[in-house]
Amino acid sequence: MASQSGLRTRKPYRRDETILAFAFIVPIIVIMGGLVFGPLVNTVVDSFYRIDPMQPGEPFIGLKNYTRLIADGDVQTSWANSAFYVVLAVVAETLIGLGMALLLNRVRLGRKWLLAIAVLPWCLPPVVNAIVWMWIYHPNYGLLNQVLMSLGVINEAVVWSNDRIGGLVMVTLVHVWRMAPLTAIILLAALQSVPGELYEAAKLDGAGPLRSFQQVTLPLISGGLAIALSQSTVFAFNLFDEAWIMGGASLGTRSVIIQTYLSAFQDLRFSYGMALSLLAMIASLLVSLIYVAKVSRDTRMG
Amino acid sequence: MKRRSFLAALGAANLAAAMPRVAFAADNQLSVLLPPWGTLPKAMSDRFTKETGIALQIQTMGWDDIRTKVVTSMVANTAPADGVEFDWSWVGQFGAAGWFESLDDLVPAETVADIPTAKIFQYDGNLLAIPYNNDFRILIYNKAHLEQAGVAAAPKTPDEMLEAARAVKKAGIAKFPIGIPLSATEGTSTAWYLMTMAFGGDLFDADFNPLFTDPNSGGYKALAFILTALQEGLIDPAATGLKDTQVQELFQTGEITFDVAGWAGNLAVYSDPEKSKIADQVAAGLMPSTEGKSRTFGLPEAVGIPSIAANKEAAATFINWIAKPENEIEIYSSLGDLPPRLSVLEQLNSEGKLFAGDVLIEQSKTTEPLFKQGTPGWYPQFSSAVCSTINAAAKGQYGVEEAIAEIASQAKKAMDR
Amino acid sequence: MSWKAVSNPILSIAKAFAVLLLVIWSLGPIYWAFATSVTPSNEIISKSLRLWPAHATLEHYAKLLGAASTAHGNEVQSVWPQFRAAMINSIVTSGLATIVTVAIAAFGAYAFVRLRFPGRNILFALVVATMAIPAYTVMIPLYRLMISLNLIDTYLGITLIYVSAFLPLALWLMRTVYEAMPLSLEEAAWLDGAGRLYTLVAIVLPLAAPGLIAAAILTFLNAWGQFIVPLVFSPTLASKSLTVLIPEFATRSNIDYGLMNAAGILAIIPPVALVIFLNRYLVSGLMAGAQK
Repeated sequence: MASQSGLRTRKPYRRDETILAFAFIVPIIVIMGGLVFGPLVNTVVDSFYRIDPMQPGEPFIGLKNYTRLIADGDVQTSWANSAFYVVLAVVAETLIGLGMALLLNRVRLGRKWLLAIAVLPWCLPPVVNAIVWMWIYHPNYGLLNQVLMSLGVINEAVVWSNDRIGGLVMVTLVHVWRMAPLTAIILLAALQSVPGELYEAAKLDGAGPLRSFQQVTLPLISGGLAIALSQSTVFAFNLFDEAWIMGGASLGTRSVIIQTYLSAFQDLRFSYGMALSLLAMIASLLVSLIYVAKVSRDTRMG
Repeated sequence: MKRRSFLAALGAANLAAAMPRVAFAADNQLSVLLPPWGTLPKAMSDRFTKETGIALQIQTMGWDDIRTKVVTSMVANTAPADGVEFDWSWVGQFGAAGWFESLDDLVPAETVADIPTAKIFQYDGNLLAIPYNNDFRILIYNKAHLEQAGVAAAPKTPDEMLEAARAVKKAGIAKFPIGIPLSATEGTSTAWYLMTMAFGGDLFDADFNPLFTDPNSGGYKALAFILTALQEGLIDPAATGLKDTQVQELFQTGEITFDVAGWAGNLAVYSDPEKSKIADQVAAGLMPSTEGKSRTFGLPEAVGIPSIAANKEAAATFINWIAKPENEIEIYSSLGDLPPRLSVLEQLNSEGKLFAGDVLIEQSKTTEPLFKQGTPGWYPQFSSAVCSTINAAAKGQYGVEEAIAEIASQAKKAMDR
Repeated sequence: MSWKAVSNPILSIAKAFAVLLLVIWSLGPIYWAFATSVTPSNEIISKSLRLWPAHATLEHYAKLLGAASTAHGNEVQSVWPQFRAAMINSIVTSGLATIVTVAIAAFGAYAFVRLRFPGRNILFALVVATMAIPAYTVMIPLYRLMISLNLIDTYLGITLIYVSAFLPLALWLMRTVYEAMPLSLEEAAWLDGAGRLYTLVAIVLPLAAPGLIAAAILTFLNAWGQFIVPLVFSPTLASKSLTVLIPEFATRSNIDYGLMNAAGILAIIPPVALVIFLNRYLVSGLMAGAQK
């Protein structure tokens, strides 16, 4: 952190430094500006118009799309579902991913292979992942019920998705299983920056494993943790493939992005759907901002 | 270096965009966008090219995904392809959007007259697409199950169907005799519409007021029928996770007695010993009805031409070519799509090539469109609300009355634009 | 290394148990998919738990890769050429996207950490914030743009979209990597008269290798799993990806679990191979870090 405080003092910008920096970031500006910000501005503007291919004209309607979204019962349900997905997925991915990262950081023998195994679920494309899990969840022939039955937990096939919460949990589990390795990799990359001497020092101070984790590890990986938490949040808000393949249009598992898809592409209420997708973006930004703000405050205090 | 070549590429791309667009779609180039079962075998597409001199490029996409593709490109003001899959359920939307070309002058009237389901693709008096896959619903059942259970004849009414299912379950032949999808997918909605007709009902009146809210209405009874059968254990509780195709799979393995989700075209698959375990047990009958007159509705798939397509003429040639009797027969034998031409159906039947041909032809003559006024633009939204609500009801989250009220309010919401 | 060697036995048992748990969690579902993919069709529908088929078969793989394939129950032309083309497309687009993304992020993130220029923090925040944009939000304007650039159904078009989608994460990751690096090494190089660019390439980048590899893995896997982008932007096999092709195998009248699982297993081979290959560097980087 000392290195940074040196940079923080206000000095006039050096011309050669600015030119070099500019050369490095031009590709970023060109690509992000052209392919992301341009289209984004376009969509934001569109969301204030009524763009509906089934109706003539594209009149300016101000905030009407947004006020209608707030009153729409199906949209409210999809927000509740997405909130469930986000909370459960972020907690589960962080705990599982952190556990994986800590384990991988400690294991010496065959670490390369264990790492590959841990990352494997993430190699499944989401669509394929959903199909594989549909087969696992299959009430009659699926692995889940067969294992539970042979363990004697249940006597006959249970259709877990017939329960409102059960359906949501099943979709979340599929998503968490695939995405936890992302958290693991990010945290592992952060963990390797923790110098071993710090643990030794903590150990000499008589700190137990839990305290040394709290006092040494956690503050040092907090930057990585913020990235991982934001990623989990954004991916959970953007949940589509798994919920769509497993639940279809069901209101019980419909996420905000599925609702976006249905509004814009099924119902052809195009700008209405786009307005909803913008709200989803703002929601995941705000939630992510909480982690980032927390981390930057903590690091400043540390 | 990397960055520089990248920027060069980007610059080149900009340059290409700045230059006047070269019309790359020459007269002899045709692109069509179709689902897997509309994708012609290579032998056929080669023959098309040989006979017409048009090079054919077929883009295959999953059915669900074609809509995303069509909407994205049409909203962006480009044609997804010259000839595009056109489902019966899209007619109201794509018609209102004005996305498709009228085929009235491009397809001979004799052809249209021979295809009864073509009228489903009319919007505002314009014919927007020509069917290549004739889909309607028919009663498909396992006659061996019924015989073993001591049921003499195929059910003629929904109540007889329930009775027969109870007998089959009691005899221990099938654990869940009635196969019906109850997931939140389109097949669930269409099964309810079909049962609504079986109970002598219609969905809407001429002004699109719902006709299913009265407890004596066909739609109300149809939903009660489904939920009763579910509670009695005549329908698998796992059906809440099943799509129509999965129910068909269950029928094919002999696990269920009645396939309420079956397409007429599936009979060819069910009766083929190489693909089906119950080839010698499958039978077809007219849809049961409380009114004594069997009814069914058509769900055909067609090919249309986007109004901004580059090569409309070649697309029209393609549409006319696949509508030729000999080509419909080849599509039927290679892809299993039931021919839309009545004359072709009759010809196949007289040659003995159509399984349960007499029943098929009799039922095909009773085929009506689900909406007499033409498929409305709000149909897709309504239909997805229907399947979502029935799915929730099947999971025990709604009773019949609540579910019907929910469907009615969703219908109102869908119509409100 | 020394103090961990004398760890107590309870701890190592707990560790072994955790490793076992990790292996079951990660491999269980994939093993089940693999077992299903080698189970004959008539055995798949079995009500009893069977962890390995009685008569293992390659029939589903043969359907995908053999000289003749079956679709709708008919023998049709092999889907292998399609499968191979889509596999190559996936590898090329994901690979190109990874190289470009990591290259841009490696230099760009350095600028955001070590070089001072006006608007630095705002620009970084804006770029990272784009991660929250759902694909549907920008899809149609992007489609219009790609049409006007003639980039529909091209490797370049798909690659550019992937780069724009996954660059923010790579950038953020690389920034934390650079931030954690001591400035002293670079300062020493500058004192020796080395230029900034030389210092970055010769000293900083090799040290940042584990971070670069992690960013590469993240980008590649994110790109590999993409569905909606290739669905819309790759209409034909000229650039169509495996993720779009596989669901097409699900024909309307046959839900063939054996075939679907076989296709899924084939689809994860390239990313798995890449991860195992890159792991070598990731782990050696981690070892180097631990020995410091």
